[in-house]
Amino acid sequence: MPNLAIILLMLPMFGALFAFLSGKINKKFAFWSAEIIGLSLFLITLKLYSSYTVPIDLPMTWFSLGDFSIPFGIYIDELSLVMLLIATGLGFLDIHFAHDYMAKDPHQPRYYAKVLFFIGGMILLVSAKDMVSLFTGWEFMGLASYLLISFWHDQNAPADAGVSAFLFTRFGDIFLFASIGLLFYLTGSLDLVHLNELASNGKIEQNMMYLIAIFIFIAAIGKSGQFPLFPWLMRAMEGPTTVSALIHGATMVNSGIYIVARLFDFYVAAEALLVVAAFGAISAFIGATSALVQSELKKVLAYSTMSHLSLAFIGLGAGSLAAGMTHLVNHAVFKALLFLGAGAIIMSASHVKDMWRFGGLKTKMPLVALFMGLGALSLSGIPPFSGFYSKDAIIIATLTNPLTSGLISSLTLIAGILSIAYIARLWFLTFSGEPRDKELFLKTSKPSFFWIVLPLAIMAIATFLMGFSQESIAKLVSGNVPQEEHVSGLFIGLMSSITLLALIVYYYFVKRLDLTKKIAAQPLMRSIHKVLFNGYFIEFFIHYFAKEVVIGGFAKSINWIDTYIIDATVNATVKVAQRVKMLFAKTHTGYTSDNSGAMAFGILILLIILFIGGAM
Amino acid sequence: MSGVELIFYPFIIALLTAVFFRQNSAVSKFVALALFTYMLLFSINLFSQLPSSGYLDLGTYLSVPKFDFILTLKVDMLSTIMLTLTSVLLLLVALSSWSMKNQALYYSLLIFFSGAIFGVFMSTNLLWFFIFWELTLVPMYFLVGIWGEERRIYAAVKFFLYTHVASMFVLLAFFLIHKEAGTFDMTLVREGMLLSPVLIWWLLFVGFSVKMPLFPFHTWLPDAHVQAPAPISVLLAGVLLKMGAYAMIRMVLLLLPETSQQYAWVLLVLGLITLFYAGFMAIYETHLKKMVAYSSISHMGLVAIAMATLSYSGLSAALYEMIGHAFVIAPLFLLAGFFHHKTGSWEMKDMGGIMQKAPYISAIFVLAGLGALGLPGTMGFVGELSILLSSIKSFGLWMAVVAFGSMLGAAYIIWTLRRVIYGEMSEVVRKTNFSMNIFEFLALAIFALFIILFGVFPNLLFEYINPAFAQFTSLGGAL
Repeated sequence: MPNLAIILLMLPMFGALFAFLSGKINKKFAFWSAEIIGLSLFLITLKLYSSYTVPIDLPMTWFSLGDFSIPFGIYIDELSLVMLLIATGLGFLDIHFAHDYMAKDPHQPRYYAKVLFFIGGMILLVSAKDMVSLFTGWEFMGLASYLLISFWHDQNAPADAGVSAFLFTRFGDIFLFASIGLLFYLTGSLDLVHLNELASNGKIEQNMMYLIAIFIFIAAIGKSGQFPLFPWLMRAMEGPTTVSALIHGATMVNSGIYIVARLFDFYVAAEALLVVAAFGAISAFIGATSALVQSELKKVLAYSTMSHLSLAFIGLGAGSLAAGMTHLVNHAVFKALLFLGAGAIIMSASHVKDMWRFGGLKTKMPLVALFMGLGALSLSGIPPFSGFYSKDAIIIATLTNPLTSGLISSLTLIAGILSIAYIARLWFLTFSGEPRDKELFLKTSKPSFFWIVLPLAIMAIATFLMGFSQESIAKLVSGNVPQEEHVSGLFIGLMSSITLLALIVYYYFVKRLDLTKKIAAQPLMRSIHKVLFNGYFIEFFIHYFAKEVVIGGFAKSINWIDTYIIDATVNATVKVAQRVKMLFAKTHTGYTSDNSGAMAFGILILLIILFIGGAM
Repeated sequence: MSGVELIFYPFIIALLTAVFFRQNSAVSKFVALALFTYMLLFSINLFSQLPSSGYLDLGTYLSVPKFDFILTLKVDMLSTIMLTLTSVLLLLVALSSWSMKNQALYYSLLIFFSGAIFGVFMSTNLLWFFIFWELTLVPMYFLVGIWGEERRIYAAVKFFLYTHVASMFVLLAFFLIHKEAGTFDMTLVREGMLLSPVLIWWLLFVGFSVKMPLFPFHTWLPDAHVQAPAPISVLLAGVLLKMGAYAMIRMVLLLLPETSQQYAWVLLVLGLITLFYAGFMAIYETHLKKMVAYSSISHMGLVAIAMATLSYSGLSAALYEMIGHAFVIAPLFLLAGFFHHKTGSWEMKDMGGIMQKAPYISAIFVLAGLGALGLPGTMGFVGELSILLSSIKSFGLWMAVVAFGSMLGAAYIIWTLRRVIYGEMSEVVRKTNFSMNIFEFLALAIFALFIILFGVFPNLLFEYINPAFAQFTSLGGAL
């Protein structure tokens, strides 16, 4: 088995190179190599999963620095395997889907190479044994997302989006990097499992443990797009939709939650879970409310990802590893489904993303409408889809934990209910009613079944079937079966269903658009809309801070000091020296170069004189 | 083979090249390549001859015993590593100068430089060390002054005078050492022999800080870099700065360990200031090559922090970062010069979208940039991780601030990539043809290969780096 694990880690990296080089011969080769490598990755993971008995543990030394030795180990347990199944399974479907989606792109070799590298980064991250290999996978993903988001780098907007993604996540990564140093100093160990044990046994000082937990959490916030480091996630919609599906379903955003889950005992011992839950609740609320008013198809989904990952964080923060992680798993599947569905729509509708120009698309693509509808039901938390069980478990977890039962559980509930509203809005605006842009509607083509609809179907079936195997997923990710009963859950399910029913009734039978417009035209509603639409202006504030305070204020003053104080002092000295040199020049040839040659010679003479003087 | 010919033959070869190959300047390239290859082979061969610890004696020459004016050549692991690094860089610089004007003179100056720099790393007699140290400035002065940009004379003079004044401090310290310890041979000097170690420490420290450079002695560097031709910037950053760092390790930290222990905080504080100060300068900079120059200074701040630990791991980290920095910064300088040469502007706003015109060249720029910001898989990450771990171990938890230097690196590199090679093409870029000489591209590709190779397999280097400071463990243990 260890050999298989090594192959799993190496294959995407070499595969990326192979896909790129073979794609240089013929563009089609790039896709087919990626498809085959993607499938093999999934099959290897399945093999590892089916023959799992004990964790694969491969401690390795990367390099020795003086008397330190820096580890780089591999550790694959059940939690890793679940994440691997998501990364490789959804990754494979994503590559398959890209066959049509990227068909017209001239840079396919580059695309598939980067996608494989991205999946490879996630594989490394979830198979990491220690902080160093984890950080390496973590940064590989940061790089891959930067390269993929700015894939169409010949336009300014995607290039800017890439910068935003890299810098926002990098800001968090720095804290992870710092915590490697802190942990190394405090414990001498960077092994993740060992760190959990040390923390549980109280071997690390409490305050430092809290600080490190917060540092790691900041990194998790950056990668998982939580408040306040989420703006990159919305900007990232500039990239190809297949990349968005990859980021939101298979890889990137899951890593933040994974790291908290991996160090769960550490967080428990550090008593830092409340912070996790609190930030989760704020993000859940911001994400859900902002998703309500977006006009771009992909942005609704992006805010929804933010909100749903927050739910997973809240689950972890409330102390239930099982609830948080099952939600992450469920979310990965239905969000990849929704994103690829969105990709199918955008591709068919000549790359228009604005939902207000769609409408009535269910006649054009009934299967896409159906499968996206199933994904939407799962996202809304309607039983018996998978989303229901985990959302429900999270709400129960927040209610049973006295620390989170008040404000946090209410915010969770609000975010949960709102998710029905925004996803229903998305579905109805896109698929039902009359086409609002007739011209676009006529141009819209029918997606191919094998390349586009089939992956959606697989994921829709998966999200449905996973509803019946929640307990085994929970057991895999947390090691024990949760004891909670779904009694109160029926209440959530009932509420969700009633809300959904109410929305359907409103859309189909009441149809009071004039009333909606009147409410929306109120000044108060308009300013609320503006705040929500811009994601509470957080990106604006951060940009303002970076541009005006850090660069325009701080860096500029340092520049001023450098020019007018430090360098000016030097230049004054040089001027004096130059005057002396000028005098010298008059007696010589006048060429500066000759003078300095003479000066060098002069030094030698000076040296000898000094030295003879010293010797005597 | 004793090595002394590698110091003196270059001077003769340089003279002959300049005189005889004026008409047929292409020959001078091959003379230089042949000599630098020989130097590289010589340096690599030294590794197998080195004793397990201490110095390998390569003989004494030009002896004037009455004045202790003896060219003593001794090498140990540290100087052999520096010799190898220098030869590699010289070879690659010779390749990347392929289309330089007035080649016979240019390459003869490079050859002259190679002799002087070998002298610096091989001679253990302080006087001869100083002579070679100063001799490196002469070819540098001409290389910047003749092949440089518009304000090359200003920059060359500033560079020459600045580092020259600093050398006076060093020379004074050397005479004090001779007066108090009675010898110019640095391998024989022990700190206990010195009556005024503190004074000597400060003189040497100031002298070498200018060369490294550390804040506030750094202002000569951006000017020199901007005016220097691109391959010479590589020499400045890769060899001349490393010479300062080498001298700092050799003459300050290893020669005066106890005083260094006492004043290590000065090095640490200046290193930290340099790291952040130059980082912010780089963020604000819109001039492409100045940005790279500040990034280079910022990394030397990291090297200083690692040195200040005075520990086995810290010095190993410092030496690794010195090598890593040389390989990472070289392609950045070469490409900054190349982009300037093609677009006619240094301002990043005039560039943009170069990736669309020259994907492979731009990819190397991206890779080197990622190395500079410390991405795992590149030499930059190994260096930063090593420095973070060793400095935290020595100075405590607050040294976690070193990690935040990487954030500045990410900011200036990513913004630079966005402005220079990504995004829509600027008018200038649209009209420009970015074709590159194959030898220049080869040099870049080799740099790129090193960045990844030693970033993924750092043990290839640490195998040699760690033993260089093995004697320092016993010494550090005694302190």
